[in-house]
Amino acid sequence: MSESTGHIVKSYEQELKRLADLMAEMGGLVESQTALAALAVVEQDGGAAARTIEIDPRVDALEREVEQFVIRLLALRQPVANDLRKIVAALKITSDLERIGDYAANVAKRSLVLAQFSLPYSLTGIAHMARMVQENLKAVIDAVSETNAAKAIAVWRSDQAVDDIYNTIFRELITYMIEDPRNITPCTHLLFIAKNLERIGDHATNIAEKVHYTATGETLPETRPKGEHSPYAGSERS
Amino acid sequence: MDASAAMPDFATEGETAPRIMIENLHFFYGATEALRNITLALPDRQATGMIGPSGCGKSTLLRVLNRMYDLYPGQRATGRVMMDGENIISPDADVNTLRRRIGMVFQKPTPFPMSIYENIAFGARLHERLSRAEMEERVEWSLSRAALWDEVKDRLRAPATGLSGGQQQRLCIARSIAIRPEVILLDEPTSALDPISTLKIEELIDELKTDFTIVIVTHNMQQAARCADQVAFFYLGELVEVGPAAQIFTAPRQRRTQEYITGRFG
Amino acid sequence: MSAGGARMLRRQVVNGLALGLATLATLTGLIALVWILATILINGAGALGPHLFTRATPPPGSEGGLLNALLGSLMMTGLAVLLGTPIGILAGTHLAESGGRRWIAEAVRFVNDILLSAPSIVTGLFVYEIIVQPSGHFSGIAGAVAMAMVLLPVVVRTTDETLRLVPVSLREAALALGAPLWRMVLFVLYPAARAGMMTGLLLGIARISGETAPLLFTALNNQYLSFDLTRPMANMPVVIFQFALSPYPAWQQLAWAGALLMTLFVLLLSLGARFMLRPRRG
Repeated sequence: MSESTGHIVKSYEQELKRLADLMAEMGGLVESQTALAALAVVEQDGGAAARTIEIDPRVDALEREVEQFVIRLLALRQPVANDLRKIVAALKITSDLERIGDYAANVAKRSLVLAQFSLPYSLTGIAHMARMVQENLKAVIDAVSETNAAKAIAVWRSDQAVDDIYNTIFRELITYMIEDPRNITPCTHLLFIAKNLERIGDHATNIAEKVHYTATGETLPETRPKGEHSPYAGSERS
Repeated sequence: MDASAAMPDFATEGETAPRIMIENLHFFYGATEALRNITLALPDRQATGMIGPSGCGKSTLLRVLNRMYDLYPGQRATGRVMMDGENIISPDADVNTLRRRIGMVFQKPTPFPMSIYENIAFGARLHERLSRAEMEERVEWSLSRAALWDEVKDRLRAPATGLSGGQQQRLCIARSIAIRPEVILLDEPTSALDPISTLKIEELIDELKTDFTIVIVTHNMQQAARCADQVAFFYLGELVEVGPAAQIFTAPRQRRTQEYITGRFG
Repeated sequence: MSAGGARMLRRQVVNGLALGLATLATLTGLIALVWILATILINGAGALGPHLFTRATPPPGSEGGLLNALLGSLMMTGLAVLLGTPIGILAGTHLAESGGRRWIAEAVRFVNDILLSAPSIVTGLFVYEIIVQPSGHFSGIAGAVAMAMVLLPVVVRTTDETLRLVPVSLREAALALGAPLWRMVLFVLYPAARAGMMTGLLLGIARISGETAPLLFTALNNQYLSFDLTRPMANMPVVIFQFALSPYPAWQQLAWAGALLMTLFVLLLSLGARFMLRPRRG
């Protein structure tokens, strides 16, 4: 079902527009947070790390604003059908976005610590993973603004690749730590960075599920069609 | 993707045998076709809500079910409305017996110009020969079922027109159930009432579902959402969509349903 | 601003003028009414007394009352009501409830309206033709029939009107309980329309009790006290007519008293009608 005609009550239509704008703004902030955090890790860019952390309070504030606005819409407009789905999804999507922002900030903080070590190995794997997560995040934020179920499903499926690369990095880092105990501290930080990126991917998947429900009214199945479930992954999904 | 897993799990809610089965029903006001090929099951002891813009045929359908259209020449129905293996719109069906089995409550309260007691007794007397004691029992039973007994028990002989609007409407419901129907049709029963009286009627509908099959026509979509187990959306004489209330109001399958209930019509 | 002021002034002038004319018209009507009432009261009050109700109309030059005329009017009006009301109510009910054959109802309604406004002298002549002439003499029955014919369209009309004022939903509510048509009409419609129907009847009675023309051709008059409806019968309007035109002061006095009694009677009926129609909440 497409969006077709506008609402008879114009102020309602404007409020729905405003909600979409808030979501888009929040999505944009979180997207740049993730990009900056990746830059901070891969390029060891302290400025990027600082900017990532600076953005976080604005994301939190936006989440609260959306929450208030959704409560207001629910109370005053008593939305049903696609409006109801969109508004409720907005509430949950912003909470996912806020978590993504937190993870990005955490990655940025760890990148500052990591900068104090000289790393004996390449960050190509992490860089690759970060790029995949960023692509998924961008795609899902586009899907939100377009209420595009097809795009959402694409993101939902491609998260498997992120999980796979996380497992590879996990094994790789453990090998480094076994090789030389002095690697344990930086590698642990890298491990957490990878874990945080993997969590960002999971939240992007959650958002994809909300988008799919908003668009179709149908919920996606509980578990994605996964291949081998790695014992290291531990990618519990909230 | 597994299709059945993707379906919302509302479907299990409405799985009882139909009390009335409407099949391929057409209805005409003269040459105008007001209902087109309606097929709809009314599940036993559940409330079916009918929604749709004015003139969509929902009230017309209600009036087909108790053959109120018989009163007016030029109005006719084709198709079948089956109840206990009998087609109730066939000319052979006895209208007065049918109306005993299918009661109706109207948009505006319609108390008869007589006492509260006589309002209830009027209908009961039409179909049964009751002793005085039995009649008193029946009046008390109906008024209690309609949640009105406590308010009127001390003034049963007072004129019914002296009651408040909400009380009058509950009296009309009591009058309908006094003849012990199987189905109760409600045609926008709360459109003339204040919010509290409306909630009382809605609570009553919920209560009555244990014994009666309810069909309620309403313009108030929240009311359909609150009262009905199953909701049918009508538009331009057609049944666009029918489904469990929760499904209709969260994820309608038809675009016209969605546009109507979200207020994006026309 | 000054243009607006001028327009305002113009409006006020026109308003005042229209209001003045309306008041004048009302006063003219009221003055005529008060004049009539005062004349009747002044001339009739002096002639009032118990003798009006105990003695029959006197021969010229002697004392008497209006007993025979009052009784005659009462009996003929009573009979007319008995004749006209059931027919009128049934016909009115048919008009209001014949949902199907609308054009018949419309035709009957139209004819009834003509009858309603027909000159009563025509009704008198008609009854003279069908009853008085064949039977060979004037009679109370003929008078009652003529009065019933004047009453009938009033009852038909008011029954029709008041029944049609009863909301359709009330009819449908009764039928939806499985009530047959006749029970719906008898137990729901009539009680709902009772006040209006009774009012119509009272106004109809008020109208026929003052009719003179039809009675001149039918009941004529009777100088003596008589309970025999097959004989000519005394009645108020004709007695007032005859006595008022007579040269005898005693008769003229009785005519004034009769006029006053009639006026009071009609006033009473009108008050009764108002009483019935008063808004009532239990």
